[in-house]
Amino acid sequence: MENRKYTLHVSGTHCASCKILIEDILDGEDFVKDGQVNLKKEIIEVEIEGGKNIEEVITILNSKIKPNGYTISVEKIAREKESNNILWTAIPVGLVVLVLFFLLQKSGILNLGIGGETTPVTSFIIGIIASLSSCLAIVGGLVLSLSAKVTQDGGGTKKLFILFHAGRLFGFAILGGILGLIGQAIGINFLFSAILGLIASLVMIILGFNLLGVFKKNKITLPSGIFSFFRKAEHEIWAPVLVGIGTFFLPCGFTQSMQISALSSGSFMSGLMIMFFFALGTLPVLALLSFGSVSFANSKHAPLFFKSAGIVVVGLGLFALLSGLAGVGIINPLFSL
Amino acid sequence: MTKNKIPLIIITFGLIIALGFIFFGGSKGKGNIKNEQLGDNNKETEQVSNIEMKDGIQYITINAKGGYLPRISTAKAGIPTKLIVKTNNTYDCSASLVMRSIDYQKVLEKTGEEVVDLGTPEVGPFQGTCGMGMYNFQVNFK
Repeated sequence: MENRKYTLHVSGTHCASCKILIEDILDGEDFVKDGQVNLKKEIIEVEIEGGKNIEEVITILNSKIKPNGYTISVEKIAREKESNNILWTAIPVGLVVLVLFFLLQKSGILNLGIGGETTPVTSFIIGIIASLSSCLAIVGGLVLSLSAKVTQDGGGTKKLFILFHAGRLFGFAILGGILGLIGQAIGINFLFSAILGLIASLVMIILGFNLLGVFKKNKITLPSGIFSFFRKAEHEIWAPVLVGIGTFFLPCGFTQSMQISALSSGSFMSGLMIMFFFALGTLPVLALLSFGSVSFANSKHAPLFFKSAGIVVVGLGLFALLSGLAGVGIINPLFSL
Repeated sequence: MTKNKIPLIIITFGLIIALGFIFFGGSKGKGNIKNEQLGDNNKETEQVSNIEMKDGIQYITINAKGGYLPRISTAKAGIPTKLIVKTNNTYDCSASLVMRSIDYQKVLEKTGEEVVDLGTPEVGPFQGTCGMGMYNFQVNFK
């Protein structure tokens, strides 16, 4: 019997690697002679061995690809409706995360006293506290938004995030060492770090809305310079490393305090140790955010994850933006935690 | 699906209200009269405890750790005034003190007292924030 060609609709494809994954599954079936995925149109063109009922084929294929979060159908699934329903679940999920985060800030649990000399151990503990503090709003928010966005675009590999975190640790160590050596302030210029913080919060808000898919039709993108820089992160080694080093200059009270400690430590090695262990302390939470994004993005909960992350990131971005504007004196403080 | 939506919407509103409380619940001027009176009383006690006259100079003391306390104080205008910012193992944002109106910014020592000369303040509010801006305090000069 002759083979027949079908055009099927597929939903749940959120990344470039989805194409490869689905085509692999299609190739694995004997009755599929040829399978091509078109991500843009969200269709699959398949050539099926003669004598097979298309309904049967769809049932078999769906049983194979559903665990990965995709659905094949003859008719196009009302996409808008589905994505709206996910959004209505994502909003409370994201808000719960935000409420817990700000409650943690307000509770004062993080204000525990660490006295005495700044040693590697205290630096490490302060790093852990910092990674749970309001600094997370900027540094963590940025990490989450970039991780989720890059992963959604199909470029989120473990290697990329390892490079980012390695760059961060390396940058903190070296810059901390330099601080100890020269005993002078670099990166402690308030206005510079405040402006950097404002840019970071704008990036978060834009990426957050992008993750929410609010601007599906008319995607807003970041200013081309910044965006192409992050885009390059997919291909180049130095981009994630540089972003990692750059987090040294983001506004964070804890980072600034530790920079002062490194500054007054008096030697390259002691400054290096203080900043390295501080960065090491922040690593667990930040690593969880970035590697968590990758594993969620490859699960069937990917759409919910991206949208919830979008809500969290927009919330943190707004918080950082309003705080930052009050910090540079453009607006009056609207709130105080 | 619409059945599932209603509880989700209710939860969403609840969470938004919770966020509102976190951000604005502690601030003045909101809530009922009773709360406002309480707030005024608090201010009164703060006023007694954190303003001190010594050798003709008015000293205002603010504690910086996980925010600034008291957040709002009232002091006399028109007399020489110094601000004392106390830190006690302060690593968080409140250690990076910014006071725009007098062009002051500094990362304070972890533990210590920073004395800032405010000159002779005029009538009106005086504001300080931390470097990232999420903590702030205000001194009303009357």
